[in-house]
Amino acid sequence: MTWLDRFRSHQSRRRRALRGLGPGPMRDFLAAEPPGPDTPVAQVPLVALDLETTGLDPARDQIVSLGLVELRNGRIELASAWHQLVRIEGALPPESVAIHGITDDRLDRGRPLDDILPRLLQRLRGRVMLEHFRAVEQDFLDAACRRRFGAPFLIPTVDTLRLGQRILMRRNPTIGVNELRLFNLRSRFNLPRYQAHNALMDALATAELFLALLSEISPRNTARLRDILAR
Amino acid sequence: MEIELIEIQQFLAQHPPFSELPEAVLATLPARLQVSYLRRGHVLDDEGGRFHLVRSGALELCQGEDQVCEQLAEGGLHATDCTLPYPEQNYRVRAIEDTLLYSGDCQLLYHLGQAHPEFGRHFTASLRERLQRALSQRQDQGHALLSDQPVGELIRRPAVCLETGTDVQHAARRMTEAGVSSLLITRDGDLAGILTDRDLRQRCLAEGLPHSTPVEQVMTPNPHRIAADTPLSEALLDMTRLGVHHLPVVRDGRLLGLFTATDVVLNQGGNAALLASSIAKAQSLDELVESSRRIPALHRQLFHGGATAAQIGETLSHMSDAITVRLLQLAEQALGPAPIPYAWLAGGSQGRHEQSSHSDQDNALLLDDSYDSERHGAYFERLARYVSDGLDACGFVYCPGDAMATNPEWRQPLQTWLGYYRRWIDTPEPKALMLASIFFDLRPVYGERALFEQMQEQVLETAAKSQLFLAHMVANGLSHRPPLGFFRQFVLVHDGQHDATLDLKHNGIVPIVDIARSLALAARIPAVNTRKRLQAAARHGLLSREMADNLQDALELIASLRIQHQARQIERGEAPDNFLDPATLSSLERDHLKDAFRVIQTEQEVLARRYNANALA
Repeated sequence: MTWLDRFRSHQSRRRRALRGLGPGPMRDFLAAEPPGPDTPVAQVPLVALDLETTGLDPARDQIVSLGLVELRNGRIELASAWHQLVRIEGALPPESVAIHGITDDRLDRGRPLDDILPRLLQRLRGRVMLEHFRAVEQDFLDAACRRRFGAPFLIPTVDTLRLGQRILMRRNPTIGVNELRLFNLRSRFNLPRYQAHNALMDALATAELFLALLSEISPRNTARLRDILAR
Repeated sequence: MEIELIEIQQFLAQHPPFSELPEAVLATLPARLQVSYLRRGHVLDDEGGRFHLVRSGALELCQGEDQVCEQLAEGGLHATDCTLPYPEQNYRVRAIEDTLLYSGDCQLLYHLGQAHPEFGRHFTASLRERLQRALSQRQDQGHALLSDQPVGELIRRPAVCLETGTDVQHAARRMTEAGVSSLLITRDGDLAGILTDRDLRQRCLAEGLPHSTPVEQVMTPNPHRIAADTPLSEALLDMTRLGVHHLPVVRDGRLLGLFTATDVVLNQGGNAALLASSIAKAQSLDELVESSRRIPALHRQLFHGGATAAQIGETLSHMSDAITVRLLQLAEQALGPAPIPYAWLAGGSQGRHEQSSHSDQDNALLLDDSYDSERHGAYFERLARYVSDGLDACGFVYCPGDAMATNPEWRQPLQTWLGYYRRWIDTPEPKALMLASIFFDLRPVYGERALFEQMQEQVLETAAKSQLFLAHMVANGLSHRPPLGFFRQFVLVHDGQHDATLDLKHNGIVPIVDIARSLALAARIPAVNTRKRLQAAARHGLLSREMADNLQDALELIASLRIQHQARQIERGEAPDNFLDPATLSSLERDHLKDAFRVIQTEQEVLARRYNANALA
């Protein structure tokens, strides 16, 4: 499948989903036209997003926090930074406390996901999503949208893990999975080590890594969106 | 701001000028910034009107007509566009490593500068002001124990005077009434002599002279006098050299009073003064060695008392001078008086009055032209040996380059010395240039000052005329350059491999000393002290007043960092050295050092161009 086919399939799935969908944030989200595949990357409005979850299974696990930050003209706008704790249903599984350092007590201060989704969809509308390892964000948000609005979560995506893999494979085809982790890719590109780990800092870390990868792929900044879209 | 961006706030808090801001203000800043990435080798290209803070990586910033370059490492701020009042037009910024930048609008800096003067000063202050502020921060409240306070201020009361013709009984009565141990004797109001308790005892009572003897018969006539603005340290040295405890002080030719050893003790808490006096009184080499053991303690006290590096260097040099003088006196006692006039000369840091805690000895003997090696050679060889061995025993180790009076090459009559200088100036070869820091920084410590002045006059005359020699001096100075790129190196060496250290002596102090020497020789300036040379060079118009001040401040800053570094090493029981681990510097201290290095680099470039020295370097 070529990038054009993928793009057309994305368009047709969006149109199909819109049919029979009532007015509201989900409809506004799906109705917005994303930037075309020929748009120069410099002009593409990108949003780096990171979710923290209680596990990896969207059917059973829940989102505990989200963080995002926007990129415009090759710059990350820290003014756009948003961090949101999500109140989950039931108690937090102990193993996720160990990973995220988030306690039930803190989550109590969060808001229910259903209240947050409209604002999140509004922030993503008409934009391209930037993630490190897209499956998690994509799957959890898809499950949430289907539950809440009965519609799929469809958005063009750029995945820094895949971009990093592309670059490293050029140098060394036997690249290990471990080297593609956010932390390891960042240190390869002389990016600072952040101490804090939360959804916002990880979204920022992803956005910074993207800028580094982009300058490697396209030193003169001539790339178009289709060159970097996730397949 | 999202509290989760606290990591960015913390980064700002660690780096000047943002570190000057209160936390509540810092918390609002991350949301005003953008993050961007500049690939190694790429030139920064933005719309202007913005500042950039290096989060990781390194930038090279070249600006000005000279395109003087500096490197900005982590925490480095490039705000050239925001500089008031006229932004620098002619500059270029390039990433020399993959670099992550935090950037913002100049307006943000202006607003912060208006609301927080400390922050604003970072941009509006000239390099001059920044250096001065750095120094005053370092020197807080402390003051030197042995200061350069003028002796005129230390005199406790007006001089008690008597006219000649008065008899000794009147004099004794006058001394008792006034409660003094010495009188100044005047003739028609002018100083004629000095009369002390000891004179009355030894020259009058012990000799059985009558009470009616006129004072001029027992006084010491024409005593050595000093000007009221003589620094205390110099007055002390005079006392040591002359073996007296009283010095008449004059101001504008008028007799002001009598300066006594007691004045020193009372005013200074005694430390350096007592040490100087115990050196002067030492009756043997053992006693001298014993006294010199107190020098490290004096050094510590000066440092903790907040003395400037200049004051410490001067005080330590005075102690070395006092020891040298005393050794020569002891040598003359042991060997008999010198058969012909001579001058003992100190070179290097002692000569310049800039000694540090672990200086070695650099010295030379200048002999009268009546010198005959058959008749006098043995005497001066033994004299030199006595003093040099004594200095070594007192902690001033032998010069590794053998630039000492014990080396027959450096123990010669005036004509031979003048021949040396002519050769060094006419054919400046590497060895001559290496010796420059010793033989062009000589100062007489003991003996016939006039002999030295005769030599110096001719040397200065010849040197100033030789453009080739001056060019070589400048070129030689260029071999020690300030490491402006050093901090980048430091940042780039990751993961505990900070084996890179900063050589404060060769990268900081020596270049300034070299600059001052080149300027002094070009303008026939007899001073050897770096500060005095720079001031004199400014008076001669060889460099601007501001540059002279900046260089002096830079020297003070680097030298005081060295003293601080060495004091810490001594406290840890380590041998003091010049190698500073930059990890021990605060980010503010690093900025100050960078300013100091920038000053040095600028003047080096100016000199290199003036003498076209780059071709020789």
